[in-house]
Amino acid sequence: MAYLAIAGATKQFGPDFRALDDVSISVERGEFFTLLGPSGCGKTTLLRSIAGFSDLTSGSITLDGSDLRRIPPHKRDIGMVFQDYAVFPHLTVFDNVAFGLKPRKVPSAEMKQRVDEALAAVRLSPLADRMPAAMSGGQQQRIGIARAMVINPRLLLMDEPLSNLDAKLRIELREEIRDIQRQIDIAAIYVTHDQEEALAISDRICVMNAGRVEQIGTPQEIYGDPQTLFVARFVGTLNTLSPGPALDALLKKLKLPQSGVQTWTVRPEQLELFETGAASADAAALSGQVSKYTYLGREAHVQVATDLGHLIVQLANPGTSAGYRRGENVSLVIRRDAPMGFDAAGRRVPMGV
Amino acid sequence: MPRLNFWTLVSISTWLLLLVLLFLPVGSILISSVYDDAGNFTLANYARFLSEPRFHRAFLNTLVVGFGGLAGALLLGSIMAFCISRFVIVGSRFVSLLAILALVSPPFIGAYSWIVLFGGGGLVRGWLRAVGINIPPIYGLAGILMVFSFKFYPYVYLMVSGALSNVNRSLEEAAEGLGLTPWQRAFKISFPMVFPALSAGGLLALIHAIADFGTPRLLGRGYNVLATEAFNLYSAEIGSNMSMATTISVFLIAVSMFFVMLQRYMSRRNVYHGNMINKPIKIRLKGWKNVLAHFAVYAIGFLGALPVIVSVIYSFRKTSGPVFKPGIGLQSYERILFNLGDVVRNSVSFSISAVALIVLVGTLVGVLVARRTNLNTSLLDGAFMIPYVMPGIVIGIAFIAAFNTGPVVLTGTAAIIVLSIFIRRLPYSVRTTASALRQISPSMEEAAISLGYSPFRAFLRVTVPLIVPGIVAGGMLSFVTAINELSSSLVLYVGSTMTMPVRIYLLILDGDFGTAAAMSSLLLLLSGLAVYVAFRLMGRNEQALL
Ligand SMILES: Nc1ncnc2c1ncn2[C@@H]1O[C@H](COP(=O)(O)OP(=O)(O)O)[C@@H](O)[C@H]1O
Ligand SMILES: [Mg+2]
Repeated sequence: MAYLAIAGATKQFGPDFRALDDVSISVERGEFFTLLGPSGCGKTTLLRSIAGFSDLTSGSITLDGSDLRRIPPHKRDIGMVFQDYAVFPHLTVFDNVAFGLKPRKVPSAEMKQRVDEALAAVRLSPLADRMPAAMSGGQQQRIGIARAMVINPRLLLMDEPLSNLDAKLRIELREEIRDIQRQIDIAAIYVTHDQEEALAISDRICVMNAGRVEQIGTPQEIYGDPQTLFVARFVGTLNTLSPGPALDALLKKLKLPQSGVQTWTVRPEQLELFETGAASADAAALSGQVSKYTYLGREAHVQVATDLGHLIVQLANPGTSAGYRRGENVSLVIRRDAPMGFDAAGRRVPMGV
Repeated sequence: MPRLNFWTLVSISTWLLLLVLLFLPVGSILISSVYDDAGNFTLANYARFLSEPRFHRAFLNTLVVGFGGLAGALLLGSIMAFCISRFVIVGSRFVSLLAILALVSPPFIGAYSWIVLFGGGGLVRGWLRAVGINIPPIYGLAGILMVFSFKFYPYVYLMVSGALSNVNRSLEEAAEGLGLTPWQRAFKISFPMVFPALSAGGLLALIHAIADFGTPRLLGRGYNVLATEAFNLYSAEIGSNMSMATTISVFLIAVSMFFVMLQRYMSRRNVYHGNMINKPIKIRLKGWKNVLAHFAVYAIGFLGALPVIVSVIYSFRKTSGPVFKPGIGLQSYERILFNLGDVVRNSVSFSISAVALIVLVGTLVGVLVARRTNLNTSLLDGAFMIPYVMPGIVIGIAFIAAFNTGPVVLTGTAAIIVLSIFIRRLPYSVRTTASALRQISPSMEEAAISLGYSPFRAFLRVTVPLIVPGIVAGGMLSFVTAINELSSSLVLYVGSTMTMPVRIYLLILDGDFGTAAAMSSLLLLLSGLAVYVAFRLMGRNEQALL
C-alpha cells in the first residue's frame, strides 16, 4: 500500500454542492506530489482534510497504514505551510520555529540545535532573535517552512505557499523548497494554481477540476500527453482547430481518424512556419496571414489567421530579428503527430500514430 | 469534545445573563407600564401619555433637542474632521486631545460650567455687558443645544476623520480628471464615501442627546424632555408614579431603537474599504483661508473643552463654604479628602468591579460570537444592541422595576449599580473582542494545531496573547464610561452607594460648585489615566473611544 492513500474522498457543503467528488490519490515516501487546478476546484479542501481541520463527508485517508480520520489534527504529526504564512507575530523567529518542539518535549539543547539547523536551511540564521512582524513575505514564508519541517513531520502540506510573493522570489523560493524536501526526504503535498510552478517542482502532479481528479502523472505526462481537454487547456497553451471543410481536408491529408473526435487541438510549439510552403511527407501545410506578432525575448508568438481559425505558433530563439509583420503571408506546417483529438466528454482519443 | 461543551455552557450562561439583566428589566417596565397601583391591567398610562400636553411637549422637546444636538454635532464635527484631515493644522494632535477631553468630561459639569460663564450672573456675560454687548442667559432650548453641540461633536469628528483620511485619493483625482468642480467632487465622491461614518457618528450624538438628563435638567428651566419627565415622575417625593415613569421609558427605548434601525437602513449598502496605498495628502493653506481654518478648529476644540478647563480652574479657587473668595486654595480638595472619601472609594471600586466583569464576560461572549457563527450567536449579537441604545435613566428605572420586589431584591445594594454599568457596557466589550478576533487569520491557530497543540491550547498560546492588549485597552476605556456614569446611578443609588457623578450632581444642585469642580477634576484625572494606559497599549486609536 502507498505511504499516503486517499480513497473515494468526498466533501459535501450543503445539500447539493460537492467540493470534493470521489477523489483517490496515493503518494509515495519521499515524493513531491502537487495538486494543480483552478481556484475553487477543491485543492484546499482536500489538503485541510488531510491535515484534519475539516473532515471528509466520506472516503478514507491512511498514512503509513494508520487511519488518519480517527486521529485528531494535533496528533497527526503533519507539517503545514500556509498561504498567508501564519507566522506568530508575538514570538521571535527562533520561538516561532521552536513552537512545535515544545509539545514534543524536546530537551532544550537539542531544541536549540534543531532550530538552528532549520533556520540555516532556510537561510534565516542571522534573524533568529528578531520579531517577524516587519519582515518581508519571503522571509515570513521561510519561517513558516522552517517551523513546519523542524518537527520532522510524517508529511508536509503546503497550500499555495508562494502565491503572495512576487515572480522572481517565487522561482527562487520554489527551488529552495524542492531542495529542502529532497534533503530531508519527506513526502510533500504541494498545492498551486500555477501550472509552470507545478511542472517545475513536482515528481507527480494531480490536476483537479470541480472537485474531481482529471489526471495524475509526471510533469512530462501531464504536459505532453494530457488525457482530457481540461488538462490540455489548463497546462500550457492550446490552439483549437475550427471545424469545417478545411479541417476535414487537413485530417484526410494527415491520415488521421475522424470518428469519435469532437475537438481537435494543437500546441503552439508543435507548429512551424515556412515562408515557402514546402512540407515533408507526414506533414501538411496551411497558408495564412500573420495577424499579430508578440516578442517575448526567449521566444516569440506569431498569430496566424488561417482557414482553421487564428492559430498561435511559438518560435524558439527569435533572436533580435524584426520578426513578422502584420499581414505577411506565411505557410504553417502541421506534423502528423501534432494534433490531439478529444471526444464529446473531453477525453483524449488515441490516435495510434 | 470538552471544548464544545465549554462553549455551549458559555452560550447558555450568556442567554441567562441577558434574561436576568436585560429581558427581565425591560419586561418589567413593559409590565409596570400596563398595570395600575392596584395591580389591574390598564392602558391608562399610554392614554395619558397620548392625551396630556405635558407629555406631548416632552416628546416633541426630546426630538427637538435630539435633532438639534445632532445638527450641531454634525456641523462642528464635520468642520473639524474636514480641516484636520485635509489641511495642515498646526498642533492638530493637541486639538484632537481637546476633543477627547470634551468626550471624557464628566457629565453635568459641562452644563454647569456654561452657566458659570453665560448664565444669569455669568462671567463672560458680565464682561460683555461691561463693553455694551447684551446677550440673553443661555437657559432653555438654546443653551441645551449649545451644550449638546459642543459635547457631542467629538463622536462625529472621530468617526468622520477616520473615514476621510482613508478615502482613496485616486478616486478624487479621477473625478477631477472627469472635470467635476471641487463642490461636485465633495458631494459626489467624498460624501458618499464618508456617509457611513457620518451617520454612525451622528447616531451616537443623537442617541446621547435623547438620553441626556443632566443638561436639560440644569439648563432647561422648564424645558422638559422625556428623560427629565421620567426621572421627575420616578423621584417625586410625593406621588412618585412608577408606572407613568416606565411608560415614558418605553417611549424612550422605542425612539432610540427607531433611530438605530433607521441609521442601519440608511447606510446598509455603503460599506467602503479604505485603501491605504494612496492616502490623501494634507494641503497647506495660505493667507486668510489658513487663518480661518485654524480659527475654526481651535474655537471648536477650546469651546468643547471649556467646561473641563473651567472646572479645573475653579477647583483651585479659594472657597469659604460654598462661596468663592479671591485667590488660590485647596479647600475644595480638602473637603473631598476629609468628607467625601467614601464616595471616591465607591466610584473606583464599583467601576473596577464592573470593568472586571465586562472584560471577563465580554471576552468569552466575543469569542463565541466571532468563532462560532450560527443562528444562536447572530441572535446574541442582535440582543446586545438593546442595552447599547437604552438611555441610562431607563436602565435605572428598569432595574428598580425588576429588582425591587420578587425573587431577587437588589435595590440599595452596590451590586445593582455595578450590574447596571456592566450590562450597558458589555456590548462594547463583546464587539471589540469579536472584531479583534476576526482580524486574526484562522490559519494562525491551525498552524499551532498542526504543530501538536490541542485546539484549546492553541487558542491559549496563540490567540489569547494576540488579543490581550486590545482587551485590556478596551477595559480601560470601559472604565472611563463606568466611572462617569451618572443617570442610571442617580436612579439606583442610596446614601451608602453614592458615586462621584451623583455627588457632583447633588453638589451643583446645592450650589457648592467648588467641591463639584474639584471632584470633576479628580474624575477627569482618573479618566485621563485610563485613556493614557489604553493608548499606550494599542496605539493612539481615538475611534476606540466611541
Ligand atoms: N466551509 C465551506 N462552506 C461552503 N463551501 C465551501 C467551504 N469551503 C470551501 N467551499 C467551497 O468549496 C469549493 C472548493 O474550495 P477550495 O478547496 O478552497 O478551492 P481551492 O483551494 O482549490 O481554490 C469552492 O467552491 C468553495 O467556495
Ligand atoms: Mg485554496
